[in-house]
Amino acid sequence: MIPTLGHAAVVVGLAATLFAAAAFWLGARRNDPGLVLLGRRAMYAAFGLALVASAAMVVSLLTHDFSVRYVARNNATTTPPFYSFISLWAALEGSILFWTLLATGWAALVLHRYRERAPALMPWAGVTLALGAAFFFAVMAWPGDPFVRTEPVGAEGNGPNALLQNHPFMGLHPPLLYLGYSGLAVPFAFGMAALVTRRTDEAWLGMVRRWTLVPWTFLSAGIVAGAWWSYEVLGWGGYWAWDPVENAALLPWLTATAFIHSSMVAERRGTLRVWTHALVIATFVLTLVGTFLTRSGVVESVHSFTQSAIGPWFAGAIIVALAGSLALLVWRIPELGDTRPPGRPVSREAAFLFNNVLFLGVTFVVLFGTVYPMIREAASGERVSLGAPWFTQVNAPIFVALLFLMGVGPALPWGGASWRTVRDRFALPLLAGALLAVAGWLLGVRAAAPLVALAMAGFVVTVMGEEVVRGSLVRGRARGERPPVAAWRLATRNRRRYGGYLVHAGIAVMAVAVAVSGSLASDVTVTLRSGESVQLGAYTVTHQRVVSERLASDPRVLETRAELALAGPQSGALAPALRDYPNSPSPIATPAVRTAAGEDLYVTLLATDPASGEVTLHVFVNPLVAWIWIGGAVVVLGAAFAAWPERRRVPVPAPAAEPVPATATIAAARPEQ
Amino acid sequence: MSRLLLPVAAVAALAAVALVGVALLSAPAPRTDAERTERLAAQLRCPDCQALSVAESRTRAAGAIRGEIAGLVAVGRSDEQIRSHFVDRYGEWILLAPPDPVAWWLPALVVLAAIAAFGAWLLRGRAATTRAPGATHAPATAAAGAPDAEARRVREELEALDG
Amino acid sequence: MSVRALRWLLVPLVVVPLAWLLVASLGRSVPRVGEPAPEFSLVSIDGQTVTSESLAGRPYLLNFWASWCIPACVDEHPVLIDAERRYGDRVAILGVLYRDSPEAARAFLDTYGDGGWLHLSDPGERLAGAWGVLGPPETFLVGADGRVAARRIGPLTAADLDAFLAPVAAVDR
Repeated sequence: MIPTLGHAAVVVGLAATLFAAAAFWLGARRNDPGLVLLGRRAMYAAFGLALVASAAMVVSLLTHDFSVRYVARNNATTTPPFYSFISLWAALEGSILFWTLLATGWAALVLHRYRERAPALMPWAGVTLALGAAFFFAVMAWPGDPFVRTEPVGAEGNGPNALLQNHPFMGLHPPLLYLGYSGLAVPFAFGMAALVTRRTDEAWLGMVRRWTLVPWTFLSAGIVAGAWWSYEVLGWGGYWAWDPVENAALLPWLTATAFIHSSMVAERRGTLRVWTHALVIATFVLTLVGTFLTRSGVVESVHSFTQSAIGPWFAGAIIVALAGSLALLVWRIPELGDTRPPGRPVSREAAFLFNNVLFLGVTFVVLFGTVYPMIREAASGERVSLGAPWFTQVNAPIFVALLFLMGVGPALPWGGASWRTVRDRFALPLLAGALLAVAGWLLGVRAAAPLVALAMAGFVVTVMGEEVVRGSLVRGRARGERPPVAAWRLATRNRRRYGGYLVHAGIAVMAVAVAVSGSLASDVTVTLRSGESVQLGAYTVTHQRVVSERLASDPRVLETRAELALAGPQSGALAPALRDYPNSPSPIATPAVRTAAGEDLYVTLLATDPASGEVTLHVFVNPLVAWIWIGGAVVVLGAAFAAWPERRRVPVPAPAAEPVPATATIAAARPEQ
Repeated sequence: MSRLLLPVAAVAALAAVALVGVALLSAPAPRTDAERTERLAAQLRCPDCQALSVAESRTRAAGAIRGEIAGLVAVGRSDEQIRSHFVDRYGEWILLAPPDPVAWWLPALVVLAAIAAFGAWLLRGRAATTRAPGATHAPATAAAGAPDAEARRVREELEALDG
Repeated sequence: MSVRALRWLLVPLVVVPLAWLLVASLGRSVPRVGEPAPEFSLVSIDGQTVTSESLAGRPYLLNFWASWCIPACVDEHPVLIDAERRYGDRVAILGVLYRDSPEAARAFLDTYGDGGWLHLSDPGERLAGAWGVLGPPETFLVGADGRVAARRIGPLTAADLDAFLAPVAAVDR
């Protein structure tokens, strides 16, 4: 009866969210705190109900209740408990349920946290959040019902998608992505509330930026984790294929990043309100578009594991959300202030806004590349595809410009810079960047991409370093603190800014790693008999024997692995494998990856010949790939540092003003005169 | 220090740009047949997988196409001939970066137009400011007259430091 | 006044193209398992006309192939011949040429054996487009109810065919 309970929770959840939306609406219109309280409690209840429904699904999966179609399709009696548990998000209906859980969770958290601090905004934010959650409950009540029963009940299920049960990383990467996706409804809700109530002041911006930064952090972590999963599991030696699923995660990330930057200008200058609102709307709509593209079967995908009728529902929701929010924005345009440029052409404002133009440029390119084949086919009936080479070539110049701006923005002062300032602040970083590129050349790097990336990274990191050192020295001198203490206090007093620097440093590291691993990797495909070896770079890989056995954790899976000996800068045993899952037409490759700071040795088993004991291997040497994950971790750390709540000095979250004494300010600013 | 730093930085930057230029121009042409096969395979879409090239994919269909490319390379066909061979068979769809002018020019034009519009907007704002001296970019102090000039200067300096 | 009203144009300017894109992409989506199969009326390389209506009420296997598709279509061919022998009385097998000429197809059949089922010419790959064929060989099974029962990208194996056809053939009995 547990599935029935789950289904009931979904239906009651739909009612609760609709009730909450109505209560918030009436409460706001009549200015009735009682109704608002009622709406808030209904949203807490909706979260509880989503929790009950998710728990019902997890229990059904863990107990292999094949009367539930989702369980029959995505579980088997031999599925280990861990993979049964994470099957909650392994297929369409379950992932919508999981999304609903997270979305209602965010909504409850935010409504609770700001219940007293923003009494005017919250009812309208509540309306938006409740309607969003109601949409997901409705999808589960009709086209995407996770609790549909099957008759007759089979004794065995189909088992989870083989690709998704091959690596424990599936337990981490989708939840991070979904936390990001679902969390981006929060800034959208704040945006709508601000437009309705005409409260688009700095306090609002601060709130929205914090609540964009939090899901942004999860989304970034999810994207990097997804690349890592692709690298560790799929066995093709790479980590990013410009696949529609990857692009779908990237699109809202790009616009959210643009928002984070423009909101700093907007907050400081009290302008650009229309633009920042438009970015908030675009970010939210793109999370829906991404889900639509990847989950409704519109984008052709061999790995799409579901056929479902949710496509029209999502299309409808996207159109309603976009038309409604855009109309609201257009209605309020006259009240949103001027659209004059907020700074001189050479100023931090201008650099941040140029960054916005470029981020939206990448967004356009990625969106265009994802949907253009569809448009072209609709228009002319011809089928084309745009793949990784197209995406890299079109995006590369924009990425280089963005990297450069990442250093330029923080080095320029707000308002505008004199030629002297520019010269003083750019000379050393430019020198560092150029020296790094020259050093790369002397070390034998002859490809353009890594040289450019090195130059840009050197420039960016030196700008950040200079900023931190100068700031710490000023603070240390003014307050008599030792430099490390001064640096830590400086950073924790202005988390946003120094967290941002850390994010930039992480991105610079990733850029170098991506450019180097993309253009300096080497690989070889060989067939080896037992005892034979292959040489690639400084490594020797020797084939010893082939072992075939059933997995102890899931006896339905037959693993054939090549036991190899590795000699070279790294040594030891390697065992790339092919796993035969009963529900997968072709075996799933499980690569063996040896990671080191300098380079990874990556071996995929392509085929085995049981008769002769021969194995066919694809061996890669991938330089600096580890630094993509390290850079990603730095980005996430920096973002978490920036999003960490600062001690509130006033009840209303206000833009953090830096409490540096005026004397120090003038002293430090003097060189600018 | 900064007096010397700037020329040194400028020279170093020029050197770096020159190196990148040389690297771009001297991008090594593939020499062996295997390298050519690999490069061509990287330009073709694997028919039965998602978003991967024939070079990256290990499916049977991809393997067959790789073998076919190797055969065509061995009999001395040009890169262009080999590409059109596959386009004839699978359609333009097989190319990961098709020679479709819309696909290449439209995004580039949109991005360049956006940059141009942004530049014009910035310069227009600058012109407006120079025409009306005393006007400021910060609405918070826009109404302020001359007595606030000093306060504004302090504020801007503060911002210059604190970001 | 009218200039201020113009800003409302922004809404349809953004929403209408997106709505078009969403609707067009929904309409474009290729038939998936469980959905109705596209209709067709094509002429075989022997000059016989075959339409989807003439097949109604009977399961059929659509095999998109080409004479140039070597080795995959060559490997697959014996499997199909075996399928025709074992299931041919219950399931219609139909070959559809994919970017290929009838002459080349005839030569292929002369070399590798003609199982006796019909091969349809598909000028302009219209049927292949309707099915969203990625490349030969690709095979679809349509049930007696006219709905897609299965899809296989790449060469069929004997095991695939048994998995595909055994249930359909059994139901049909």
